[in-house]
Amino acid sequence: MAKTQKSASSLLRYLGVRFLLIFPTIWILVTMVFVVMRMVGDPITASQGGKLSAEQLQVLITAAGYDRPILVQYFEYLAAIASGDFGTTLTNNRPVVELLATYGVATLELATYSMIVAFLVGFPLGMIAARKRDTVTDAGLRLFAILAYATPVFFVGLLLKLVFAVAIPILPVAGRVGVRSEIELAKLEGATGFYLIDAIKLGNEAIVLDVLKHAVLPATALGLLTAGIFLRLVRTNMISTLNADYIDAARSRGVSETKLVTKNALRPALIPIITVVGMQIALLLGGAVLTETTFEWKGLGFQLTEYLSARDYVAVQGIVALLAVIVALTNFLVDIIVAFVDPRVKF
Amino acid sequence: MVLAGCAAGTTEEETSTPGATESSASAELADIIVGTTDKVTALDPAGSYDNGSFAVMNQVFPFLFNSAQGNAEMVPDIAESGDFISPDVFQVKLKSGLKFANGNDLTASDVKFTFDRQQAIADDNGPSYLLSNLTSTEIVDDLTVNFNLSVANDQVFKAVLSSPAAPIVDEDVFSADSITSDDDIVAGNAFAGQYVITSYSFNELIQFEPYAGYKGVLGAPTNASVTLKYYADESNMKLDIQQGNIDVATRSLSATNIADLDADENVNVIYGPGGEIRYIVFNFNTMPYGAETADADAAKALAVRQAAAHLIDRDALSSQVYKGTYLPLFSYVPPGLPGANEALKDLYGATPDQAAAAKVLDDAGVATPVALNLQWNPDHYGESSADEYALVKSQLEQGGLFTVNLQSTEWVTYIGEALADGYPAYQLGWFPDYSDSENYLNPFFLEGGFLNNHFDNATVNEMLRDQVGEPNAATRVSMIEEIQNLVAAEVSTLPLLYGAQVAVAYSGVDGVIMDASFKLRFGSITK
Repeated sequence: MAKTQKSASSLLRYLGVRFLLIFPTIWILVTMVFVVMRMVGDPITASQGGKLSAEQLQVLITAAGYDRPILVQYFEYLAAIASGDFGTTLTNNRPVVELLATYGVATLELATYSMIVAFLVGFPLGMIAARKRDTVTDAGLRLFAILAYATPVFFVGLLLKLVFAVAIPILPVAGRVGVRSEIELAKLEGATGFYLIDAIKLGNEAIVLDVLKHAVLPATALGLLTAGIFLRLVRTNMISTLNADYIDAARSRGVSETKLVTKNALRPALIPIITVVGMQIALLLGGAVLTETTFEWKGLGFQLTEYLSARDYVAVQGIVALLAVIVALTNFLVDIIVAFVDPRVKF
Repeated sequence: MVLAGCAAGTTEEETSTPGATESSASAELADIIVGTTDKVTALDPAGSYDNGSFAVMNQVFPFLFNSAQGNAEMVPDIAESGDFISPDVFQVKLKSGLKFANGNDLTASDVKFTFDRQQAIADDNGPSYLLSNLTSTEIVDDLTVNFNLSVANDQVFKAVLSSPAAPIVDEDVFSADSITSDDDIVAGNAFAGQYVITSYSFNELIQFEPYAGYKGVLGAPTNASVTLKYYADESNMKLDIQQGNIDVATRSLSATNIADLDADENVNVIYGPGGEIRYIVFNFNTMPYGAETADADAAKALAVRQAAAHLIDRDALSSQVYKGTYLPLFSYVPPGLPGANEALKDLYGATPDQAAAAKVLDDAGVATPVALNLQWNPDHYGESSADEYALVKSQLEQGGLFTVNLQSTEWVTYIGEALADGYPAYQLGWFPDYSDSENYLNPFFLEGGFLNNHFDNATVNEMLRDQVGEPNAATRVSMIEEIQNLVAAEVSTLPLLYGAQVAVAYSGVDGVIMDASFKLRFGSITK
């Protein structure tokens, strides 16, 4: 009993520390973005320069407060964030929270498809590589994993576009859905913004197919990035599990290799992967910025690049802060799961 | 390539798809899809000053003055009439029975509200500076408004009433002292132009349907609806127009993509007179022999500028870099506008003349090669700027008269430094605020203008001020021509090219009209 109570309070303390670490993580990221954005010019000069005289620009800059001391601007911003006010974008007067809600769904949709690709590609191939350890198949799969992980995601995206949308035009080149489907989806009452769900709600098979066709290339480009990592992880963990005594015992009892790989060894091999999944969310979101831009998938990542070009501090800070929150919360959730599932985790 | 030739000040030829036919009243009206890369900043006229926002406003908001299709001349739109009742007062009478799509009456009160709020809000993203000549707006009666102006007989004011500062808004929907959100405007159905917005997804998709209550000069649309689709990448838009997924593609396609589309049988590329210009600015203080250099000499500095004018080959820039989508510009006011001439061609020739350039420099005692630092910008004026300025450099260096040090700077830094005497010579571009010659002269060459290149000519200053208030059109045209001649002699800036407007229509789509108003109106598009 005493041991259980101690264990429970240790767990709470462990999780409490993990939760508290979210705040400095977000604070550091927001501060970095705040400083860097202000080093490269203000949004008024970016938009009105070349139309207004230097004096006129300065009047506007002063009226907007962009020439005030940076520390003053910084503490004002932190105070606003602490009260839940992420501000209004400077270039088009839109509440940042509205941006996040509108475009976050698009990024969530892309991340979902990409994770599915990552699992569907990485896991089976990892299992095959483990099963065929030290063969040509294994070497080929390991090389594939390295290439998938190391090749820049925008390059993979452009290659896929070139092959499947231009040279052999069987898939769309960009966008989340075709123009005519987009027009129909815009008419849906209570649209979620998750186009696959909305297309299903509309009950239009052609639009569902159109949505899926548009998702193939960007999901593949982004999913392969993570698939490479999963492949290697699954392979490594399964190899060590397949060498365990209990596996040898099962083998000696006549259990087939296939069953050993897919049942006996796979489950324990997955535990360390749960830890990695949390880190992959961060990688996925980072990759989403490039993927969304390459495929004109108008999610948060895409908007981030647009607002960066416009020097819109408020929008960029808001989007980065949200991405930081997502990554931090996801890692926290993974920490919780791992604390329960992985016996190696001590607290 | 079909390009409209534009007679100064009067009706120009329309530019449309070859074989365009009028749609008959009995034909079923089509749904049109237009693609663009020009994004919206805000639907509120007080909160935006960019091509993308204005392109939408032109479809849904009414203007007091506007230009008819195929024409740049300002005529009353929802106004019945408008003219000076005294040198300082421009009076506008509205047509009777005007309503917004939400049923609210459109009266003089809305007009006063529109301009008062523009000036009160003065948003840093907005066009309120276009109203700098407007002192106040007064209601005379329900249908009559007086605009009190600080410049007597301001001949530009009608054009200002068609500009991004002047879409008339509903005082019951828009806020008097802050920017009204796009969603509130759409929900309030605060439209009285040719169209209303029936569906709005910010910078993704906008759907327009004709508004039967519009009583302006453009008339009823000849289509059932228009959907405006936004692209981030013009290559994606190009692919969609080639595949017929959209009916029209407009602003902006690269010169390479346009050339490719020109060869595509499935699409028609339509060209029209363009207002955008590209030019080199000389800073009179910091250029070679500039006023604040160690060897300051106004005559030698002038010789350097004139020599550059002799050496530039605009035809090569137009054909090699821009594949004809930008055309040679030989003066400060582009073709098609009142007073446009070819002052630089008259003075410096249509083709490069090394001998003339060498003579100018020699006569002034300028040692050659002249070392010239020339700055350009890689991200604000299109991806072809690099090729453009590489070619300019090679043209200037022909015959060894110049050695050009070419440098580039990213936009936000670039424009700040350019306006602060950071560059002796540098690239700029300009898109007009409204279709009037004044907009190509006063902002550049009048003392206190945005250019700040220290060009200061008392005669030019006086003429620039006078031409704005000159009521006689022919006299004003003469003044504009003379101003260009005077500035060309001093080469304050060196105009290079002006851009044709370009739209691409899929086969079977007609009525895409690119005229000297620089506005693409959706109402004439049919298929």
